[in-house]
Amino acid sequence: MKLASSIRTLLTFLFRRSRVEQEMEDELRSHLQDRADHLERQGLSRVEAERQAGVEFGGYQRYKEECREALGTRWLGEIIADVRFGLRVLWKNPGFAAVAISILALGIGATTAIFSVVNAVMLKPLPFPAADRLVRIESVIVATWRGGVASYPDFRDWRARNHVFDGMAAFRTNDFTLIGAREPRHLQGAIVSAQLFSLLGVTPVIGRGFLPGEDKPAAAGGADPVILSYDLWRREFGADASPLGRTIQLGDQAFTVVGVMPQAFQFPIQAEPVELWTTIAVDARGGANAMTEQRGAHYLDVVGLLKTGITPTQAQAEMATITSALNKEHPENKPRTTSIVPELRRLVGDLRTPLLVLLGAVGCVLLIVCANVANLLLARATGRHKEMAIRAALGASRRRATCQLLTESLVLGLIGGGLGLGLALSSLRFLVRLIPAELPRLNAIGLDSRLLSFVFLTSLLAGIVFGLAPALRASKISLTESLKESGRGSGGGGREHSRLRDALVVGEIGLAVVLLAGAGLLIQSFLRLTQVDPGFNPSNVLTFQLDSSTGRNGSQLPSFFREIVARLSALPGAISVSAVASLPLTGDNIGSSIEIEGQPTPIGSRPSADFNAVEPNYFRTVGIALVAGRDFTDHDDSKSTPVVIVNRTLARRFFPNQDPIGKHVRPGIGNGYSPGEPPMREIVGVIGDVKQSGLGAAAAPEVYAPLAQSPFGTMFFVVRSAADPRGMVAAVRRQVASVDKKAPVYHVVTLDQYFAQSVASPRFVALVIGGFAGLAVLLACLGVYGVMSYIVVQRTHEIGVRMALGAGTGKVLRSVLGRGLLLSSLGVLIGIPVSFGFAQLLSSLLYGVRTAEAAILALAPLALLGVAAVASYIPARRAARVDPVIALRCE
Amino acid sequence: MDSQAQILPGTLDLLILKAVSLGPLHGYGVLLRIGQISNGALVIEQGALYPALFRLVRQGLLKAKWGTSENNRRAKYYELTTAGRKRLREETGDWNRLATAMATALKARPEEI
Repeated sequence: MKLASSIRTLLTFLFRRSRVEQEMEDELRSHLQDRADHLERQGLSRVEAERQAGVEFGGYQRYKEECREALGTRWLGEIIADVRFGLRVLWKNPGFAAVAISILALGIGATTAIFSVVNAVMLKPLPFPAADRLVRIESVIVATWRGGVASYPDFRDWRARNHVFDGMAAFRTNDFTLIGAREPRHLQGAIVSAQLFSLLGVTPVIGRGFLPGEDKPAAAGGADPVILSYDLWRREFGADASPLGRTIQLGDQAFTVVGVMPQAFQFPIQAEPVELWTTIAVDARGGANAMTEQRGAHYLDVVGLLKTGITPTQAQAEMATITSALNKEHPENKPRTTSIVPELRRLVGDLRTPLLVLLGAVGCVLLIVCANVANLLLARATGRHKEMAIRAALGASRRRATCQLLTESLVLGLIGGGLGLGLALSSLRFLVRLIPAELPRLNAIGLDSRLLSFVFLTSLLAGIVFGLAPALRASKISLTESLKESGRGSGGGGREHSRLRDALVVGEIGLAVVLLAGAGLLIQSFLRLTQVDPGFNPSNVLTFQLDSSTGRNGSQLPSFFREIVARLSALPGAISVSAVASLPLTGDNIGSSIEIEGQPTPIGSRPSADFNAVEPNYFRTVGIALVAGRDFTDHDDSKSTPVVIVNRTLARRFFPNQDPIGKHVRPGIGNGYSPGEPPMREIVGVIGDVKQSGLGAAAAPEVYAPLAQSPFGTMFFVVRSAADPRGMVAAVRRQVASVDKKAPVYHVVTLDQYFAQSVASPRFVALVIGGFAGLAVLLACLGVYGVMSYIVVQRTHEIGVRMALGAGTGKVLRSVLGRGLLLSSLGVLIGIPVSFGFAQLLSSLLYGVRTAEAAILALAPLALLGVAAVASYIPARRAARVDPVIALRCE
Repeated sequence: MDSQAQILPGTLDLLILKAVSLGPLHGYGVLLRIGQISNGALVIEQGALYPALFRLVRQGLLKAKWGTSENNRRAKYYELTTAGRKRLREETGDWNRLATAMATALKARPEEI
C-alpha cells in the first residue's frame, strides 16, 4: 500500500511538473504580449514592439531557470535529464548494457525469488485481525523442556487464573470419516474449544460460531455442532445455500452444521487443509474417564490472544506463576511450565534458519554481481574519460558529474531489477516444486507490495553499491592530467583505477570462497543424511491409512485388520502385508511413560519411550531386523499373555548386560478396552533401531505391542510388493471396500516418498545454495577474466617494449598469470576465515558434518584458485602473443 | 534617464508586496504599478519580476489564481495573504527606520560630531 501511494505521489509530481512548466511559460508569454500591446499603442509596429518587449524582459531562458529554482523543481528537471541521458548512453553501448543488465537481472532475480519465499512464509502477517497478539502457549516438562501439548484441566485452570490474555483456546487436529451417500471420505478436522473463532476474530460467512456452552457434550439425543470449511461446503453440499441445521455423519457420530467459515480461513495453518471444526465436547464424553478430565493427558495445543500492551515475556512470567501453583496442587504429575511463542514464529519453526541462510547466500551472490558491474563501469569509464574532461572544461561541477554517472547506474539497476522481478516470478513455479511441502503458507507466495518494494529498494541499493565508487572515481578529473594522458587514449585514472578493480576482484573471490565452502558443507550434510541407515528398507512398500473405527469397538478391530491383511496378501505382486499404528518418518509418534520390572518408580518420574502397535510380520514387511527373540504371531491376542517387542536402544538402556528376553515392562498406554492400570508385558523380541522420528535424530527407546492386545482405530497398512507398488493402489482400494464400505483409504504414499519428504528441507537448502555457489564461482571467474583482460590491454605497449627488449613469451605469460593468481590468493585468504564464521552459522543445519570440516573448507579455496588460474590464463596467453611491432605501432 | 534609479538588492520583494497590497495584479500589472507608484523612478529588469513572484508565493506571502486580464488574455493574478500583509507592515517599518537613519547620518555636518 505504501508503495502504491508513493508511486502516486511521484506520478502527480511528474504530472504537476509538466503543468507547472506550462503555466510558467503561459505567464511569461502573456507578459511579453501585454508589453508588446503597450508598446504598439505607443506607436511601434507589431514586429518592433515584440522585439522591444523581449529586450526589456531580459534573458528569457535564464529567468525561466531562476523561476524553476524559486519553485523548487529544478532538481527534478536535472534528474529527468540525467535519466534520459543515461538511457541514451546505455542504448549506444548495447554490448555493455546487455552484459550488465543480464547479470544484474540474474542477481536481483535470484534474490527476489528467495525473498518471495521468505516473505510468504515469515513476513506476511497471519490472516487474522489481531495476528500480532496471537501466541502459542506450550506446556513443557520442566526437567527436559520437552512436550508442547497441554491437558484440558491444565488449560481450564490457565484460562481461569491468568490476567494477561484476552482469550485462550485449545484445539487438536483429528481424522474424521465423512459417511454420506457416496463412498466414505477422510477429512482432516479440528476439535477446538468454543472460544477459538471469536479469539481469532473471524466470523463464519454462513451461520454462527460455537457457543460457550457447546464445549460440553450435547444432551442425550442432541448432536454436537460442526462448522464446515467453505471448500467442504461447496464440494459436499454443492449449491445448497442453507447447510445450516443439516446433520452430517462423521464416523459413528452425528453432527449438526451450525456454520460455514470464509473461503480463506485456515486454522491451524498446516500443509493438509483443515476442512471442519467441532468442539471439545467430542473428548468430554465418558464422565470421569473422559480425556478432558485427565490432568495427565497432554494432547491439546493452546493458542492465546495477548491483552493489548502485554509482551510474550510478561505473559510468560504470569504463566510461570500459575503453572508452579498447579505443580504444587497436583504433585502426581511431572512438573511443567509454559513457553510462550508468537504464532507466526511457531509456524515458521525450524525453517527460519535455512531460509535466512539462503537469503544471506543470495545476498552474497548479489554483492558479487555488483562487484562485476562496478568493474564493467570502471572499464567503461576509461572510454568516457574525454567526455568527462570536456564536461569539466565546460563548467560542470564535480557534484553534477557524479550525480549524472550515479543516475546512469540507478537506471541500470532499475532495468536489471525489473527484468529480475520477471525472472523471479517466472522461476517461482519451479522453486515451489523444490520447496518442502512442510513449509507453511506456500500458497501465499507471489507478488505483493512488500515484494515490489523489496525489488525496488534492492535495485536502487545495488545501483548505488556498484555505481558510487566508479562515479566518484570517474568524475575526479584533473584537466591538465587528462590533457597529458589524452594522447595515449588509455588514461582512466591510471594506478588508482586499477587498485579499485583489484580490490573488487579480491572481494568477489572472497565471497565466492565463503559461498562455496558453505554449499559444500550443506551438500555433504545432505548426502550423509541420505546415506543414514534408517533401520528399514523403504523401497517397494506401499502405505496407506485406514480409519476402521466406524461401526466397530476396540475388540472388533483385530479381526477386521486380520481380514484386510489376509485379502491384501492374496493380491498378485504382494510379498508381505502388515499394519502399524505409527509409521517411521511420518512424524506422529506416540509417546508413553514406561515402568521397568524391578525398578518401581512413581508415575511422575518414569522414563519415556515411543509406543507402537503392530500386526505380525510388520518388521519383515518394512525390513526391520529382528535381533533376538521372536516376532508376534496370530496367537498374541487379547486372551494370551501380554507381550512386547523392544528396540535395541531400549534393551541397552534399561537392561544393560542382560538378556532382555523374558523381562517385563509396563508401557503407560492401556490395552484400549479394559479399565484399570495397563498390564505388565513380557519382552519376547528385540529389533534393530529405526529412525522413527527423522533420519537426523538419534534413536529413542521404543516398545511395540501386538495390535490385537492394543488396538488403534486408525492404522497405517504396509504392502511390500515385487515391483513398483503404485500399480497396486486400485486393487488395494477395491479389496478394502469389499470388506468395509465405511472405512476410507487415504494418504496413499510409498515409503520411499515418506523417506524423500523427510529430507526435503535439507535437500532444498543444499540444492539452492549449491546453485548459488555455482553462480558465485562463475561470476567471480568473469570478474578475474575481465580484470586480467583489461590489464593486458592496458599493458600492451609495455609488454611490446619488454618483448622487443628480449623478454620471452614464458616470462610475459608468467607475469600476467602471476598477477591473476596473486589477486585470487588474496581473496582466498580473506574468504577462509569468513567461511569458518559462516560454517558456525550453519551448524544447526548440519548433520554428520563438523563445522570445521577441513576437507571442504580447504577444497573450496583450492577450487576457486584453480578456476581463477584458468580465467587468468586466457588473457595471459593473449599477452604472450603480443607482437612487439604491432604493439609499438599502436602508439 | 538620470531620474531613474536601479533598485537596491532585496528591495524588489518589498516593492512587489506593496504593489500587490493595493489590489490583485497580474505580473505585467505589478510592473506597471511599481512604475506608477514610484513615478517611474525605479527600474526593474522585467524578467526578474517572475522569480521573485514565484518565491513570494512559495513563502506563502502571496497567493496566485488564474483569471482573465482586461484585454481578454488568461493571466495569473497575485494577491496578498495575511502573512504577506504582516510582512509588508514589518518591512515597511524596517525600511523607514533604515531610511531615516541613513538620511540623518548623511546629513551630518562636521560641527555636529
